[in-house]
Amino acid sequence: MKDKKIAIIGFLGILCAAAMSGAVWYSLKFNGGRLVYPMDFGSYVFSYKDLPMILACIVVIIYFAVVFLSVFLHAAQKKSDRKEGYTRKINPKLGFLGFFGFLGFLGFLTYPASGQVTPFVFFIFFGFFGFYYEGKMSGTFMDERFRENAARAQSMAYKISFTINFIALIVFSQGYLTKNAECTLAALIITLSLSMALCIFLGEYLLYHYDNDENRI
Amino acid sequence: MAEFECRLKIYRQLQGLTQEQLAKIVGVRRETIMRLEKAQYNPSLKLAIDISRAVKAPIEEIFIFP
Repeated sequence: MKDKKIAIIGFLGILCAAAMSGAVWYSLKFNGGRLVYPMDFGSYVFSYKDLPMILACIVVIIYFAVVFLSVFLHAAQKKSDRKEGYTRKINPKLGFLGFFGFLGFLGFLTYPASGQVTPFVFFIFFGFFGFYYEGKMSGTFMDERFRENAARAQSMAYKISFTINFIALIVFSQGYLTKNAECTLAALIITLSLSMALCIFLGEYLLYHYDNDENRI
Repeated sequence: MAEFECRLKIYRQLQGLTQEQLAKIVGVRRETIMRLEKAQYNPSLKLAIDISRAVKAPIEEIFIFP
């Protein structure tokens, strides 16, 4: 997307936010907070004082529709620009997104405090380290050797991940680690997330190494 | 490592082709031609035929399997 277009969308977003803020302020000040506080729309009767709020809502909805459409069209355009038979172009720096995997450690804080195990799922983001290797292979022509290596790397990644899952399931379901069902659930989520992350990462890592220094592996 | 002997380099040079040029003709990357010449990659039948046509030599003389 062009910088000018992004700037226009950003500017329109600020205008929408200002319009909505103004409408909320008007409603709170002069209209008793109608359409701001929760209300029963079954018995709603139109009042001209509702107009600013209604117009602001319409403007915001139109804005989001335009943003969604622009992003969709941009993605479609980018896809059609991609050369057929070449790997997608991404920046290796996207590999830094893998550091989001450390968010999974939040689970060790939330689990004892409130029993929440969901943050453990964030360990899956470690898989984004694979973007580093995918970025290094950006724009590579996918000839038969590349496709063969990709299939080999992917199947090896699946094999390793499946083996980890299989062993973990046996160990945890037998209760070797802990007899507590909740702890078992947490351990399973951690293991499955990490093994999924490993699968995502290994697919790219092995492809890069098969393609570049095949003899060393 | 090598399960076969590859004489592609000789036939390629006889035709005066660079790895890059041959790669372009047969629709692969230069690295693939390099691996083929070192007998580190076992090509598909289609690629082998394309190569043999490009260097104007029979397949069995380019790729020699024991």
